[in-house]
Amino acid sequence: MAETKEKSHSDEKPKPRVRPIVRLGIFLVSHSFLVSVVCFTSGVLALFLLPVLAKNTYISENALMPGSASPMLSNHHVSDGNRLVKDLTNSNLKSSETGIESHKIIAKYMLDVGAEVSFHKFHPQMNQFHPLHFFSSPDSGKIQENCSCSSYGINTVGIIRAPRGDGKEAIVLVTPYNALTSSFGEVLSLGIAYSVFSLLTQVTWLAKDIIWLVVDSQFGEYAAVSAWLREYQTPKFSSHSTLNAEMCPDINYLFEIKVHSMAGSKFSNSFRRAGTMTAALVLKVRDQSEQFDDTVSIYAEASNGQMPNLDLINVVNYLAVHRQGLRVNVEKLWSLLNSGWLKSLGEIFESLATIAKSLNPKFKFGIPATEYVEGIATLASSLYYQALGVPTGPHGAFRDYQVDAITLEISPKFSLDKVWCSDILLRGGRLIEGVIRSVNNLLEKFHQSFFLYLLTSPSKFVSVGVYMIAFALLIAPLPMVAASLYVDANSSKGDSSFLFAITDTDEHGITIRSWRWLNSAKSVFIVHLWGAIVSLLPYFICQIPDCSPTTSFMIWVLLSILSLLILNLVLASPLACVKASQEKEWALVKSVTISSVFIGLGLMSVINFATAEIGALLMVPMCLLARPLKLDVRVGTLRSCCRIICNLVLGHIAFPPAAFFLFKGMLDGFGSANVGDFWMWVESLWAWNSATYLFIGMVQLPCWVLCVSILFHSC
Amino acid sequence: MEKLKKKIRSFSFWNWVIASIIFRLILIYFPKNLNLCSRPEVSTPLTSFRRLAEGYWLKQSSMSPYAGSMYHGSPLLLSLLGPLTVKRIEGQPNHLLYSLVSVIADVVSAMLIRATGQNLQVAYFGTLKSLDLVKQIELSGLVPLAAFGWVIATHLSLYPAILIIPVHLSFVLAICDLLLGYGPDAPPRKLFLQRHQQKGLSSQSKLPPGFSWGSIIHFAFWALLWSVYVLVLCGISLKQFGGLWEMFKSTYGFILTVEDLSPNVGVLWYFFAEVFEFFRNFFLIVFHVNILFMILPLAIRLHHRPCYLAFVYVAICSMLKSYPSVGDSALYLALSLPSDMQFSLFLFCGYVGVSLLSPVMHNLWIWRGTGNANFYFATAMVYACLQIVLVVEGVSAMLNHDRKLRSLILDKPRDAKS
Repeated sequence: MAETKEKSHSDEKPKPRVRPIVRLGIFLVSHSFLVSVVCFTSGVLALFLLPVLAKNTYISENALMPGSASPMLSNHHVSDGNRLVKDLTNSNLKSSETGIESHKIIAKYMLDVGAEVSFHKFHPQMNQFHPLHFFSSPDSGKIQENCSCSSYGINTVGIIRAPRGDGKEAIVLVTPYNALTSSFGEVLSLGIAYSVFSLLTQVTWLAKDIIWLVVDSQFGEYAAVSAWLREYQTPKFSSHSTLNAEMCPDINYLFEIKVHSMAGSKFSNSFRRAGTMTAALVLKVRDQSEQFDDTVSIYAEASNGQMPNLDLINVVNYLAVHRQGLRVNVEKLWSLLNSGWLKSLGEIFESLATIAKSLNPKFKFGIPATEYVEGIATLASSLYYQALGVPTGPHGAFRDYQVDAITLEISPKFSLDKVWCSDILLRGGRLIEGVIRSVNNLLEKFHQSFFLYLLTSPSKFVSVGVYMIAFALLIAPLPMVAASLYVDANSSKGDSSFLFAITDTDEHGITIRSWRWLNSAKSVFIVHLWGAIVSLLPYFICQIPDCSPTTSFMIWVLLSILSLLILNLVLASPLACVKASQEKEWALVKSVTISSVFIGLGLMSVINFATAEIGALLMVPMCLLARPLKLDVRVGTLRSCCRIICNLVLGHIAFPPAAFFLFKGMLDGFGSANVGDFWMWVESLWAWNSATYLFIGMVQLPCWVLCVSILFHSC
Repeated sequence: MEKLKKKIRSFSFWNWVIASIIFRLILIYFPKNLNLCSRPEVSTPLTSFRRLAEGYWLKQSSMSPYAGSMYHGSPLLLSLLGPLTVKRIEGQPNHLLYSLVSVIADVVSAMLIRATGQNLQVAYFGTLKSLDLVKQIELSGLVPLAAFGWVIATHLSLYPAILIIPVHLSFVLAICDLLLGYGPDAPPRKLFLQRHQQKGLSSQSKLPPGFSWGSIIHFAFWALLWSVYVLVLCGISLKQFGGLWEMFKSTYGFILTVEDLSPNVGVLWYFFAEVFEFFRNFFLIVFHVNILFMILPLAIRLHHRPCYLAFVYVAICSMLKSYPSVGDSALYLALSLPSDMQFSLFLFCGYVGVSLLSPVMHNLWIWRGTGNANFYFATAMVYACLQIVLVVEGVSAMLNHDRKLRSLILDKPRDAKS
């Protein structure tokens, strides 16, 4: 698109024939205002149309064949599970050593059914800000720090070797379990997993190894899972673990006890592995529920908005709904469900659909208004969690190693007593069994279905091809406006021939028409450099001990302003004299700014679509509308007044902290807002290596600064 | 005032030099996080440092450095740079010495390019200001050096072979330069003729013949000498390992047959991964002849600007070569950019966008697994398109420039008369 500007530029000379594509480009650039308004509104509209355009999910991979075999999980296995639940709840009564004790019990049960068992001891790794960690591979350069012996976790791992497989592939079943404060839900999830596990040791159809990982969730589920995965995927040849064991005699002692008590069995003290993982299921049971049905909630978002293959969700959805009669649930933004304007929007779409249907019965795209509102709420939460870039559960750790994983959270209808326990064990177990059996059928890893999609309900999705249209419409005005601004700024200068300028020996005097944007590019570059510095600053601020979030935030703000001033002094001083000479300088700056925003948004849409979409909603109008206030004040018409107001409002909203507080206020109310909250939020972003953090620091903030500087440009 | 400005200019130049060196040093100090030595944009099978280290190791353990199809460079490089691959300083990143050497080499080449550019500019302004000004540049002493440069460049990466034409042209022009005062990059000679005619100078007798065999033979002699010298050196160092034929097979043969299909910023890897084995030879010929086909027309059209011709050749080579990297584009971007080019902002944004997008696409394909090869290839295609636009626009801008010069030169006297 951007090339059109110069094409039109070259067109000033009367040329006999202009290529049609060039003519189209010139037309678009010359009507850039109208085109950008149309594109932007249609982009927003397309975003709201997404629930209507959503397709029903389908099983794309034929090999999966979910539900084709009848479940083999019987009451016998359920009673096995019940036994484990009972034992664990009893062992809870014991005091301090329960952590070790309950892990022992689990290991014993695993050994009883003939699985290989090992323990994985890990030190929780504090999430730290690694400035260069965003794009490196997950296993590169993790710093191993020595932890004290008091803080360690134990994962219990049971492995069933597949009778029909070659041991090169595996399916992982994860149950988080905190031995110290175990709730009944966690114990029940262990029971479900154990009943499935005990079944799977007996079946003959198993072609992939089964790994049952009981993660110690006292330091967080994610940390435990990621520690195990790191150990699994990057074998260490150093003697690091043994060193640790020597340093911590008490742990060593406990391990020794285990080895003795389980002598002669398949227990091993070293780390055990199976094949590459095809899929992973994280199973949880919620204690109390407000649901009217037995529900399965699916959490799928991993870090940076990555999703597991859609087929995995499809299989779970299909089996849960059509085989086990469970209701499937995905996250919704509940606050949107009651909003009136969405309901009326849905009604409008519905009535439009009925009109269309009356015209031609083949048009069937309408959905009922209530369904539409639910779709929007689901879509919004899907966008929100993807944009945050923070995984919604321990399944996120798997995605870093390209393993498709989801978290299933079963919430029973009634409070959990013994009667309903068996029912949940049976149905949950059969669901897990069905999913494992499907995945077991896979010949290759998941690849058939989508990786890039948004869910609008458990059984409806919007694929990348559809939602990209909305985004493309949103950012389409950017290159066009940039082009038209560029052409304007260049042509207004008059047609003094550049040749005379060249003959001037003083090079600074040369203002060659086609390179005049270089100065604006320099200032834009300086601001982006500043953005990079600002995003690195927290790394140093974190080192300051005993800093409350509010003071850290203040230090951050002060340092940022200081660095901006210094950068301006050091780098931009020769720029200032050039700036004054160019009257339309702001137009060039705006043009380059818009180009850089276009690049940034385009890049972000590849890394994390949802962030780019939300960012585009904020930044595109701000970029397009920015214009020196002085000019508008001078004109004083209604249109310029509107523009001033819009500019001021957008200038306030699009400032990242302001946008954050506005969003937070809309969700939780403004009463509890605190300056330190933004710092905490940012901290969580970089702790999870979210690219959103980089986006805010290096695209949105510089863009905002540039737009504000355009607003206050003295021309 | 003038002096002050000049001071500011040179000051800012050195500032930039220092800033870029610091930037390079920062890049050296984060080798683990950036993984630059395994990035397909930077290191190709021909230029990869790790392959050099492997080749050196093989040679040290008295095996052929080309065994295992790992190393594909010149055997001379092994003896020159090889020792640097194993030397380490305690507590410093690995390969620090080697990186420092490459930084120094880059700085020196940047300085040389700058000096060339300043020479060109001086000559250019000279020709424009007064067409009669004679600027004597004693170039005849440079012939052996030029021959050496050409031979070594061809030896190392084969493609610079076609640069022989601009080199020759520049010598031919340099001879003229002695007599008439053309710069190495000057408007067409016809212009001068016309100008002289209009001025009423009967300078016909002064005009030299356009083509002088002497310089070419001189150059050819030196080129032959240097290449024999290089080949002898290579032969000595590869005596036990199959000799020169082995070297030709695994350096030039490797370049020409595109054996390594690992992804890079070019387009050939994808194409040859997709093409049927049956057609492979055919397309190999097509792609390489593509470069050769462009030599002659461009040489005819731009024969009066050998430096610019060299820029165009380098750009075309880096577009069509089998293992391109961003270093190639850095070279031609540094060489020459016409000042009045259209699409400058578009091209700039395109280059920035592609250089940011390509690692992201690579990450999406290789690490995340949500993308596929097409994602990365898309950026490679965009990159190729950008280069095409750059070359086309650059050449057309240069031709326009010449046209404008002509009209100015031809119109001025008339204006003066009227």
